[in-house]
Amino acid sequence: MGVLLKKLFRTIWNTRGQFLAVTAVVAVGITVYIAMTTSYYNLNHSRDEFYRDNNFADYYFHVVRAPEQITRQIESVPGVAAVNGRLQKDVPLVREGDQKATARITSYPVPMEGINRIQLLSGRLFERYPQGGGVEVLVDPQFFTANRLSFNDTISIVSEGRKVSLSVVGTGIGPEFTFAMKDAATLMPDPETFGLVMMPLNQAQQALNLPGQINQVIIKLSPGADEKEVAGRIEELLEPYGNLSSYPLKKQLSHAILQGELDGLKAVSGFMPFIFLSIAAAIQIVMLGRMIRGQRLQIGIMKAMGYNNRQIITYYTSYSLSSSLMGALLGSVAGIGLASVISEVYAEFFNLPRAIGGVNTTSVITGFALSLSVGAAAGLAASRRVTKVNPAEAMRPEPPKNAGKIFLERLPRLWELLDSTWKMSLRTALRNRGRFALMLVGVTFSVGLLVMSLFASDSIDYMINKQYFQDQRYDYLVRFASPLKENDLLDISRIEGVIKAEPVFEIPVKIHFQGKTQEDSLQGIPRDSTLKRLENQEGRPLSIPGEGLLISEKTADKLGARVGDRVEIETLLGTGPSRRASVKVVQINRQLVGGGSYVSLEQANQVIQERRLASGVMLKVDPGRFVALEEELNDMNNVSSISSRQKELDNFNKNLEAMVYSIAIMVIFAVVMGFAIVYNSSVISFAERKRELASLRVLGFTSREVSGLLLKENLFQSILGVAIGLPFGRLMSQGYINAVSTDLFTIPVVIYPLTYFWSALGGVFFIAVAHLLAVRGVKRLDLVDVLKNRD
Amino acid sequence: MSKNVLMRLDHITRTYIMGEVRVEALKETSLDIYAGELLVILGPSGSGKSTLLNIVGGMDLPSEGSVHYAGDELSRAGDARLTRYRRNEVGFVFQFYNLIPDLTAVENVELAANLVETPLPASGMLKEVGLADRMGHFPSQLSGGEQQRVSIARAMVKNPRLLLCDEPTGALDHQTGKLVLSLLAGINRDRGSTVIIVTHNTDISAMAHRVVRMRSGEIAEIIENSQPVPPERIDW
Repeated sequence: MGVLLKKLFRTIWNTRGQFLAVTAVVAVGITVYIAMTTSYYNLNHSRDEFYRDNNFADYYFHVVRAPEQITRQIESVPGVAAVNGRLQKDVPLVREGDQKATARITSYPVPMEGINRIQLLSGRLFERYPQGGGVEVLVDPQFFTANRLSFNDTISIVSEGRKVSLSVVGTGIGPEFTFAMKDAATLMPDPETFGLVMMPLNQAQQALNLPGQINQVIIKLSPGADEKEVAGRIEELLEPYGNLSSYPLKKQLSHAILQGELDGLKAVSGFMPFIFLSIAAAIQIVMLGRMIRGQRLQIGIMKAMGYNNRQIITYYTSYSLSSSLMGALLGSVAGIGLASVISEVYAEFFNLPRAIGGVNTTSVITGFALSLSVGAAAGLAASRRVTKVNPAEAMRPEPPKNAGKIFLERLPRLWELLDSTWKMSLRTALRNRGRFALMLVGVTFSVGLLVMSLFASDSIDYMINKQYFQDQRYDYLVRFASPLKENDLLDISRIEGVIKAEPVFEIPVKIHFQGKTQEDSLQGIPRDSTLKRLENQEGRPLSIPGEGLLISEKTADKLGARVGDRVEIETLLGTGPSRRASVKVVQINRQLVGGGSYVSLEQANQVIQERRLASGVMLKVDPGRFVALEEELNDMNNVSSISSRQKELDNFNKNLEAMVYSIAIMVIFAVVMGFAIVYNSSVISFAERKRELASLRVLGFTSREVSGLLLKENLFQSILGVAIGLPFGRLMSQGYINAVSTDLFTIPVVIYPLTYFWSALGGVFFIAVAHLLAVRGVKRLDLVDVLKNRD
Repeated sequence: MSKNVLMRLDHITRTYIMGEVRVEALKETSLDIYAGELLVILGPSGSGKSTLLNIVGGMDLPSEGSVHYAGDELSRAGDARLTRYRRNEVGFVFQFYNLIPDLTAVENVELAANLVETPLPASGMLKEVGLADRMGHFPSQLSGGEQQRVSIARAMVKNPRLLLCDEPTGALDHQTGKLVLSLLAGINRDRGSTVIIVTHNTDISAMAHRVVRMRSGEIAEIIENSQPVPPERIDW
């Protein structure tokens, strides 16, 4: 094999352009594979460990309030392995001279034990009764950093109208807070205005004025326990204490978001490498096929000397194996690098205390195995034809290629319009079916990938525009600690700069229909509201009915409720008795972010059997008065939170930076793949027809005219690829969205015309560059060569 | 026959550097080519006849010496000028035809016709070479002789002043070869084109007005043939 090995290296060197192009596609496939699977593995592993070490709860029960001792009864329910009773409540957080924030108070036993334990990250744990009094708390690290806190700083919350000072002694995080977002209606976490505050149960009871009480029960199930049955039993036990909601682990917000990310990663880590490796295999097959056809004479000579088929097949397969091996090497290095970048982004995004980085040997080994098997398969597939070479025949020149009519010629009128160079280009393009298919599929996928890389920003832009500018027309949403009479809102509407103020009543509810139940948020807004726009599933605006419910699409789907059905609304206010009311579904409303079912303000009041109450107010404000208004609102005691459109947008945009990088990487990958295909295809086409093209030069064609012939051929295939690639990209985007969609959010697939334009332009770019590089040789065509005998 | 010089080769030399070896393919050769003559360049392989043909055909330039075509100097021409020369003045017939496999016979001829401003009719050309009923056939559907006739039609459709044929019968059987040669003789006779045939087949020289015999990169002798024999009567 020594001489053959030398020949192999020389062949690789002589075809280095094509070799590198195919290697690059393999490398990209392996990079994506290793980066995605490693990130998946790391994130998954880190999460699982964190969940296990801190005993992540299996089921959550929220009640209005219940005595601490109730946990003893729950403990004895068969199937319950451990129980923890705790207090959790969102309260306003006062920040001197700054926007109000929300603190989510969560209580813990001291010493730290049981379910959903805190992992201490810095400082020390709180004590039940600190020396010198006061209340010690831990906060989450993002909040700690965003608010520039240091140990022993004091933060103030407002509870039951009292201001309570808390001393920060450290940072920590629990497994239920891996993604610290207030609720599903928030687009992105904002650690500056939402913080997790962890404190001992006794202190929480005192701060929230709930002595001896808890409002949440979390449990761990015994192995093999029937989740539904156990949950049912516990709900019965908790019934007297005002069951607000209960949900299993998989519906827990931060877990669901993390799981969504993992599912997305998994889908992408299968799909993307598949595309790249398939394309790489196709290029290898076409390349080797061409090489074997070109070296027919050599193969004939080798056979005549006594080499057998197996040796010759091994030789040609080694070529594709070499490019696979090199691709795997490069891909592993790049993949490990990319994985660490992705892991860093995840570490920033999710509160996972375990280091997320690290090399995953399994995925590197699998990457190599994948790459090499693709190379071997492609090599064997292409070199099968070696067996058909008969040494005696191989030494005679090949007869002219078979030619025949192509389908376009069945349209004589069109066909007659073409000149002979077009006829030639079209026939060549369509006759080489394998190469034509490769080029078409390759360009289609590359352009599709370009669309898919770019579409996310369109969709998000669309969402933002829709959410923040079309549907939500207010600048601020102010929420009150406790509902106010509508008349009291006058104080706010009189603040200088307020152009319009509309009351809103938000009530957490359960909606029941035909034995099914769904949690939702009931939103009461004025019938003539101009600050909130709703639309139906067809995108037509809805007006608030005097009576009846504009149910949210998500809830309607879950319940199977339709327009005209009557549903039962149960309030979950947490204070006062739970109310039930039967309401008719008048319309279904569709919203991109969050949700909520809408009624008139009057009807919201009717449901809780009150009159003229509001829980918040929407404000349209003169932009010049934003700062002054915020200051004034922050000073108001009953204001629990202020959401500012501008701040939410800023926060959102800050979080999008990571996306820009991932888009850039995807675009590069797509262009590399497209380039490699067009380049290889053109080089092969050029090499195969050198003699033909040189004879055209002898006939008097200029170099430019000969390149033009090749361009026509390429253009035909590429434009078709681009044309199919654009809608195909939309399909891939849809597929991707379906893979990453969760119950919590669905991103609409919106692609602006400009994105199609850019993708097409990107396609044209890589086609043009590859073409130009591939036809450089036209200028150097050896005219004299044509006159010599055939090889 | 008038003796207008169409092309003058004046002391041309062509050396190639093959790796580290200098090969003198053509040594100080001078030759006048007359308008309207049928010239056969004869010689064994390696005698320099192909190099001479390449230079005459505008595919190669001499290392030294000058080439004049109809008064213009070609030996200093750039690629664009040479391409224009080949396009407008020269028709080429190759040993292995070199037809475009993806074009039918008539399309192959049209391809060349498109290159010049006043081409002859493509189908008329094919009729002239006796392929009226093969126009829509692809090269793979034609015999060798038929392919070579298409190649002649392709060369002639531009109505070139110079028709260069490199071993035009080299890949053909005897009978078909004769047919091709009579076509070439007919073209020379009826159209007045200058036809140059390069061959190693001595018998063919009987049809020429002049025979240039080459040996080791030099012209060994030039034989004037006052009584050319029609190809039909030549045997080899």
